Amino acid sequence: MKRRTWILSALGATGALVVGWGVMPARSRLGSPELMLKTEGDVALNGWIKIAQDGAVVLAMPRSEMGQGIHTALAMLVAEELDVPLNRVRLEQAGADSIYGNVAMLVASLPFHPLDSEGEHKPTKIKMGEWLVGKIARELGINATGGSSSIADLWEPMRMAAATARASLVQATAAAWKVPATEITVAQGVMQHASGKTAHFGEMATSAAGTTPANITPKASKDWKLIGQATARTDIPTKVTGQATFGLDMRLPGMLFAAVQMCPMIGGSAASMDTKDALALKGVSKVVPLDAWGGGTAGLAVVGQTTWHARQGVQAIKVQWQAPATGALDSQRIQANLLKALNEESGFTFHEQGVPTQAEKSAATRIDELYQAPYLAHATMEPMNCTAQVKDGKVEIWVPTQVPQMARDMAAKVAKVDKENVIVHVTQLGGGFGRRLEVDFVGQAVQVAMACEGQPVQLSWSREEDMTHDFYRPMHLAKFQASLDDKGEVTSLRIKSAGDAITPRWMARAVPALSGPIDMPDKTASEGLFDLPYGFASQHMSHVATKSGVTVGFWRSVGHSHNAFFSESFIDELAAATKLDPLAFRLNWLKDAPRYAAVLKLAADKAAWGTPLPAGRARGIALHESFGSIVAQVAEVSLADGQIRVHRVVCAIDCGTVVNPATVAQQVESSVIFGLSAALFGKIDIVGGAVQQSNFSNAPIVSLALAPQVETHIVPSTRHPAGVGEPAVPPVAPAVGNALFALTGKRQRALPLVV
Amino acid sequence: MDLNINGQSRTSNADPSMPLLWVLRDELNLTGTKFGCGIAACGACTVHVGGQPVRSCVMPVSAVANQAIKTIESLGTAEKPHPLQAAWIAEQVPQCGYCQSGMLMAAAALLDKNAYPSDADIDAAMTNLCRCGTYQRVRAAIHRAAAQMKKGGAA
Repeated sequence: MKRRTWILSALGATGALVVGWGVMPARSRLGSPELMLKTEGDVALNGWIKIAQDGAVVLAMPRSEMGQGIHTALAMLVAEELDVPLNRVRLEQAGADSIYGNVAMLVASLPFHPLDSEGEHKPTKIKMGEWLVGKIARELGINATGGSSSIADLWEPMRMAAATARASLVQATAAAWKVPATEITVAQGVMQHASGKTAHFGEMATSAAGTTPANITPKASKDWKLIGQATARTDIPTKVTGQATFGLDMRLPGMLFAAVQMCPMIGGSAASMDTKDALALKGVSKVVPLDAWGGGTAGLAVVGQTTWHARQGVQAIKVQWQAPATGALDSQRIQANLLKALNEESGFTFHEQGVPTQAEKSAATRIDELYQAPYLAHATMEPMNCTAQVKDGKVEIWVPTQVPQMARDMAAKVAKVDKENVIVHVTQLGGGFGRRLEVDFVGQAVQVAMACEGQPVQLSWSREEDMTHDFYRPMHLAKFQASLDDKGEVTSLRIKSAGDAITPRWMARAVPALSGPIDMPDKTASEGLFDLPYGFASQHMSHVATKSGVTVGFWRSVGHSHNAFFSESFIDELAAATKLDPLAFRLNWLKDAPRYAAVLKLAADKAAWGTPLPAGRARGIALHESFGSIVAQVAEVSLADGQIRVHRVVCAIDCGTVVNPATVAQQVESSVIFGLSAALFGKIDIVGGAVQQSNFSNAPIVSLALAPQVETHIVPSTRHPAGVGEPAVPPVAPAVGNALFALTGKRQRALPLVV
Repeated sequence: MDLNINGQSRTSNADPSMPLLWVLRDELNLTGTKFGCGIAACGACTVHVGGQPVRSCVMPVSAVANQAIKTIESLGTAEKPHPLQAAWIAEQVPQCGYCQSGMLMAAAALLDKNAYPSDADIDAAMTNLCRCGTYQRVRAAIHRAAAQMKKGGAA
């Protein structure tokens, strides 16, 4: 099936879900005041903004803070429109209404080529697709923090909500003072008139409620005072005193602690268990057999008076584990199957242009190479956990999650109560990276809480359980075939990749109504391969979706994380084959992609590309677009005692309009280290059904001593804001791999990198 | 057994083999100290015992009875931050923040021993793991705090 055919059939299949066909401006997500939590003395003006008696602003916050600085950035949008100091914006967890759902994330799942949207006017087919999926996303209202989408999604609705609230306040004040609204100015949360009258928001909130100002537009960029300014994060002060409350820090009166052990074999279960010794231990009160929830693996939980007692109990249980009926998994066998699938199946075509077969027939030189990437674990510093209480037909959970409604739905399903009887408290997240888009541990916590007679229980995983029961980044293989003519010009590029599809499995867990017996093609599998910016005349990119049985999930930057390594390493191979400098080669083929070229040049300039380095050092370069942002990186690498040392990574990023440049730098640094850990060390092996890596001792990550200095350079832009939390992950591995090639002459075609 | 935590004496009936981490977190509700790996590999659980940095997830509580135990809760407060905490804010170090209590306690122990650590000293002492990759800011913040403490005297 060709790309266009698929899009049309997908739109047809989901079109039935669309309710209403009106346009979808930001004000459709304004929401009514009733959506906000009723709190004494506060006045809600819409679904996002409440005004406190003292004039402070309360913002409904639907997105989770997991280190990406989103709570600060979104509060900045509101502070900007209302002209209040940032520290006068308080956050309150948003409810479950669909206005808080993430539209941008679902729209970004459409497999459009990003170059098609580079110009001033988007093609109609793209606009139609985005509109329709946006409409569906709006109806579904899936609240998820992921896909580097929070600012892109809430940029319009939150500014609109704040601007509307401001207009209501000004209008009410104008009426009270009997002056034209245009004569009232707002600064630092105080409204003023030339006559000398002043009032803060709290004094006018009651009369502002119920007014419906028309024709509201957010501030023009020239009037911004806060947006675009490097701004200190509001969540940092409690994170340096140990006062920030992560999921594991919840403490409730009478709370018990639970430890878990799942079947070591993915998808397996307990055939039998002997709990006698465990229950005889002091401080151990209960053993609860666990079902497999949310796509996870079955096992058991032990309840005790502390986490330590519960874990002692787990160790004392003798269990006979059994593999799933489908047999024990093995990553080497899966790799062989992927290779077979690559060779024997045609897959789904994500992109085709020109006539690759013709170029291949007349090629003077052909370059064929195979690339591979292993399974990867997320390894958030805070292991999976959830605190739950089930009492009187009601469920309350406290959980570090990226998907509060999925957590709610899971709790309701396990406890067999209506969703309305579940209260979800989202805590600070000790890392997310996509792992907390899953709610397997929520199901476990509620199941254990149901056995605890109304007492709250905190269920937590050991590091070993966390690493061996992840939703892993899937293993991927990709075959690259390029044709060069007799002048050494690249005439065609063919890429075929194979790996497990993530999105259909996740959609089945998140929105079962939208999943069917046949999987939709998963854009995440081919992103970073089908959407390359290089202008080779003939291209063909396809993907063979497999189903290995391994629990797979979204891993920071998803398909881009491995596909950028594949494509940007192969582009480097083509540069070498055509005897061109890697930067010059790329620029030659980016003539129709000026924004990409500009980012690449900026990184190269800042890294002094082409200038001499000390002996034993080399540079590598890579360029990649993901989540709407373009990132280029230059890595400086050496070898010390056979170990790869990365000294410096210079990054340029074009992520559209920037809300908080300080956060952009933080996220770029974070992404480089995250990507580098995977490039240097990351792999998960499965033998006999069980994951072999279990802790940081046998699955190392980059430490301070190995951390390169990361420099961030932002390309000024007035485009719609794009992603920041992930786009700097993908280019690291190829930049380092390409530097190693420059240093050693050996091409890196597999992760992790080995010299 | 008697424990001396953050200058206060506390009595604990904990099993002598129970790691200090769990006594702090689950019995005394001092949750600033974090669990990360359980094998002393990540340092999220770092506290001071007798002025030395210790990974509390593998330290039996009986081994630290009657010694001065110091956790993140006593390093400083929002109103009166330790120079390291002030530097951490100035350099905007934390992201998710989960490992930062351990980072700060390790850094405080380093500065107690070595008022002007070099980059190599920091590399050697700061073996705590951070999945958000805040390392270069950790380094900058330690240098900043060291400079500040030189100017302003002891912490």
